[in-house]
Amino acid sequence: MDIRDRILIIEDDRSIRNFIRAILEANHYDVLMAEEGTQAYSLITSRCPDLVILDLGLPDMDGMKILKKVREWSAMPILVVSARTHEKDKVEALDLGADDYITKPFGASELLARIRTALRHYRAIGQLPDGRMGGTLVAGGLTIDYDKHRVYVDGADVNLTQNEFKLVGLLGRYAGKVLTYDYLIREIWGPNMDKNNRILRVNMANIRRKLEKNPAQPQYIFTEVGVGYRMLDPD
Amino acid sequence: MRKMWKGRKERSEKRLFDILKNCGITAGILGFVTAFCFFLQNFATTDTHVPLLFVLGVLLISRYTDGYFYGIIASMIAVVGVNFVFTYPYFALNFTITGYPLTFLAMLAVALMVSALTTQIKRQEQDRLEAEKEKMRGNLLRAVSHDIRTPLTSILGSATGILESYDVLGRQEKLALIQDMAEEAQWLIRVVENLLSVTRIHGNSTQLSTCEEVVEEIIGGAVLKFKKRFCQIGVEVEMPPEALLVPMDGILIEQVLVNLMENSVFHGKTTRLVRIIVREARERVDFLVEDDGQGIRESVLPHIFEGSLQSREGEAYDARRNMGIGLSVCMSIVKAHGGDMTAKNRDGQGACVAFWLPKEE
Repeated sequence: MDIRDRILIIEDDRSIRNFIRAILEANHYDVLMAEEGTQAYSLITSRCPDLVILDLGLPDMDGMKILKKVREWSAMPILVVSARTHEKDKVEALDLGADDYITKPFGASELLARIRTALRHYRAIGQLPDGRMGGTLVAGGLTIDYDKHRVYVDGADVNLTQNEFKLVGLLGRYAGKVLTYDYLIREIWGPNMDKNNRILRVNMANIRRKLEKNPAQPQYIFTEVGVGYRMLDPD
Repeated sequence: MRKMWKGRKERSEKRLFDILKNCGITAGILGFVTAFCFFLQNFATTDTHVPLLFVLGVLLISRYTDGYFYGIIASMIAVVGVNFVFTYPYFALNFTITGYPLTFLAMLAVALMVSALTTQIKRQEQDRLEAEKEKMRGNLLRAVSHDIRTPLTSILGSATGILESYDVLGRQEKLALIQDMAEEAQWLIRVVENLLSVTRIHGNSTQLSTCEEVVEEIIGGAVLKFKKRFCQIGVEVEMPPEALLVPMDGILIEQVLVNLMENSVFHGKTTRLVRIIVREARERVDFLVEDDGQGIRESVLPHIFEGSLQSREGEAYDARRNMGIGLSVCMSIVKAHGGDMTAKNRDGQGACVAFWLPKEE
């Protein structure tokens, strides 16, 4: 018998819990369920799930609290589910260490895809020798060579500047994951940089002109409006 | 978080800017009048024109500044200033001149009345805007209750149908019913998303939380969302080569673009290709969404942005897929940005819906 990934669903609404469980079990995951924050946290510590699906609106506590508490000791993948559509909630969850977010309403295929990506990332980062720069990343026609600090599109060098390379490199390291504006600014320009993200926008616009055939229909770096940027999943 | 913080900072910056602007207008007009009077002194033998010109100055100040404050201050400065500079003895104050209290009162009265009138006009304008918004909200609610009830009926009907006659229905029939449920739910999501957009406009403040967005990012986001649902429809984007920064609420404008593209597919019926064109003009940016479908019926065209009620009179009205809510939401979003929106049929074939946003707030 194969080893199944164990997923904990923290969700207070019964019908949503049932529907998530049904599709997860149909796709060969082991499912744990919790409807309250305290119960959920004890399940996380005792059963060590491979991935947590966390609803932010819980009856006894704010889901953000669980996220914060777990992130103090574990990097386990956490997928935040939220009915809140305001992008500042997404940004906050991502900045607190959520691996991805999915907004209600969502379909089965979307949820499964997010789970697969989150699990793959978690494992891929664990496998890197020192988790740092090094080697190359290939995603479609895009190649990032971390040793030479070069980026190629369809084999041609695109001549990025220092900061542009840092940005693309960072997005590449977390390819498939949304990186928030604040996170990118902090990583590239340091914590004292003005919170105004105009400099980031302008840099991204320049990068897009170098990487993409049509900047308004990008193939490699996507914008999540109001949240941040995400690079295409690697091959 | 960041956005709210930025909004607060911008608001206090704006207040400071307003005060500076008002002070600037006041000082500028008074300065100009003074200079002009000095200039006239070279030619005129009397100085009766001086108080008149200052009254005119006070009137202008009251008209072009906010509230009563600046007009009153200006009238006081003018009264004392005229006395000090332009009446004998020059460059000394003399409050015993005949008719002096009258001049003072007249100027004060002018300042107060003009300020009161201006404030009143501004308030009426605000009332009018408020009434317009209220009307839109009413239209929207009517459209929404229809747009929600129809798909809900279908979902409930299909689900209870399957539950109650599970053994009677064949596999194909059940699958078809479930397929319908999924499609109707998709449609509901669209309606609800539009509604949420409206609450973003009509939230606590009438002010939009705009920040500078790169146009291509917004279009990219909209195209991505559209492609998720309609992978078989081609999308082309034409825009100026350089990056364009435009102040907007990015989420809302993305919603507008998605709505327009989806409308092209729903109502164009034969649409194969949607084209987004962005053009930069001097003070605004134009966005065009064109399709190669059947175009918009001429009878509907004049009422297209008024919510779904008016267009409902038309013949062969497709009950569910009305343009109402989507387009009227788009219109109110664009209006809230200070832009405008138009729709027309293209000469060849297909429809073109265009909107523009101002480059400066």
